[in-house]
Amino acid sequence: MNATIAKLALQALLGRRRFFLLLAFPVLLIGLVALVTALVDGEAAYEILPGLGYPLVLPLVAILAASSVLGPEVDDGSIVYLLSKPVNRYAVAASKWVVALAATLAAGALPVLVAALVTGDSTRAGALFLGAAVAGTAYSALFLAISAVTRHAVIASLMFVLIWESLLGNLFTGIAWLSIGQWGLRVGHAVSDELPDPANLPYAVIASAVVTVVGVWFAGDRLRSFSVKGDD
Amino acid sequence: MPDQAATPGRPGVIHDLGYRHFEGVREGTATIARTLFVTGLRHAYGLGRSGKSKVMPFVLLAMSLLPAAIVVGVVVLTGLGSLPVSYADYTNQTQLLVSLFAASQAPVLFSRDLRHRSIVLYLARPLSSPVFALMRWLSLTVAMFVFTAVPTVLLFAGAMLAGLDKSDQTSAVLKALTLQVLLAAMLAGVSGLISSVSLRRGFAVVGSVMALIVLTGVVTVMQNIAYYDGDSESVSVGVGLLSPWSLHNGLGNAWDAGIDTPAPVDGAWVPAYAIVALLLVAGCLLGLVARFRKVASR
Repeated sequence: MNATIAKLALQALLGRRRFFLLLAFPVLLIGLVALVTALVDGEAAYEILPGLGYPLVLPLVAILAASSVLGPEVDDGSIVYLLSKPVNRYAVAASKWVVALAATLAAGALPVLVAALVTGDSTRAGALFLGAAVAGTAYSALFLAISAVTRHAVIASLMFVLIWESLLGNLFTGIAWLSIGQWGLRVGHAVSDELPDPANLPYAVIASAVVTVVGVWFAGDRLRSFSVKGDD
Repeated sequence: MPDQAATPGRPGVIHDLGYRHFEGVREGTATIARTLFVTGLRHAYGLGRSGKSKVMPFVLLAMSLLPAAIVVGVVVLTGLGSLPVSYADYTNQTQLLVSLFAASQAPVLFSRDLRHRSIVLYLARPLSSPVFALMRWLSLTVAMFVFTAVPTVLLFAGAMLAGLDKSDQTSAVLKALTLQVLLAAMLAGVSGLISSVSLRRGFAVVGSVMALIVLTGVVTVMQNIAYYDGDSESVSVGVGLLSPWSLHNGLGNAWDAGIDTPAPVDGAWVPAYAIVALLLVAGCLLGLVARFRKVASR
């Protein structure tokens, strides 16, 4: 961990327009849930969370956060100035990951909790929040690793979320064993039975932890042997 | 300055760099626009660009073709009497891939020239910025149309080989292709406008994904809730005016092209859907033209 790098990453994340884009997701989610709760009822509004908030908004926030702390620097090549400092590359990756994680939890998991509380049933809300926190942690590490590997990090991450987890995950139940979102739901299921039970609990916990640790380590490893490439 | 007369119109156009004179015929704006269109269309699929930039469009295209190939195989082998999915609904079912294609390839056409300021080189030719913007949009529209039409044509070819009723299938596929033209125009307009405003690639992609995928998800959820929980058919249909995909699906439903929407789109909603879709395209085009005018005047 390096406080200065974390601070710089935070500044990059909270740059004017990016901040508004990041803010748009929680506002959209909570506003929508509150609107439906007011117009119809809480149970109908809750359907938005497993249908839209959890599988789409949470990973999108994680993608935005993870690619904002690393992407622009890789994109314009200014990361070489950061890497030329005598700081452990793993510490660089870890510092950036902490910032991305904080942003994912604040703009992704917390709104899920608030929106779930709006629909009533605080146990269910707590369970969903726990699941979102677990998934958000693993997502942010995975997407940070992807950002360190390719310039097309946003698209690659989106393909993982939208095609692997959403599209194929809906078709083949077996994908739950390889889907971060489903692991989070399984952890949440331990708190409230209203969440689905796609895999087994120890596996979900261990898999999330492994993805998180390996993701951050891999991002650091990529930064260790970083080479500047041209635009294609 | 020799040969000023050879460049009619704008005086600031760079034609003659002073090394060697060109005596032949100078092609006009139409040729430049056509070349720009073809180049843009090729670039949308990564043709004429680096090998790595071909990966994304063709992977997405392959993924959207794969289910069609499976469907055709099933129909041919088992001798089904009809396709298990209608042509228009196939596009709807693969909408994530279509939206991702738009989100990933729009920055290629709309962001790069602005980010690297190579736009000034284009506009130094006798080509106005509105024409440039429109040609870029046309390239992306045709690229999007090709992306949705290829699986549709594959399905159609499979249906013909399996000996399904020719006139039914032909009218269904023509309806689907017509809807796809409108869809392509809308998606290209929305994602192009977003990419021309936010120049960082990641930014543009997330913005397009929000406008195309998140917004569509929101609209679908609202439509279902309004219909099944709120018992309000008009709200359910009305919400559908808010996203390109729900416009496409609503029009497909009204036109009997085989797409299910929560509530049927009929009556006065049909012209409303068509008008909103056209207004969306027109609005995006106006936005693009205004954006490139502003960039050109800097």
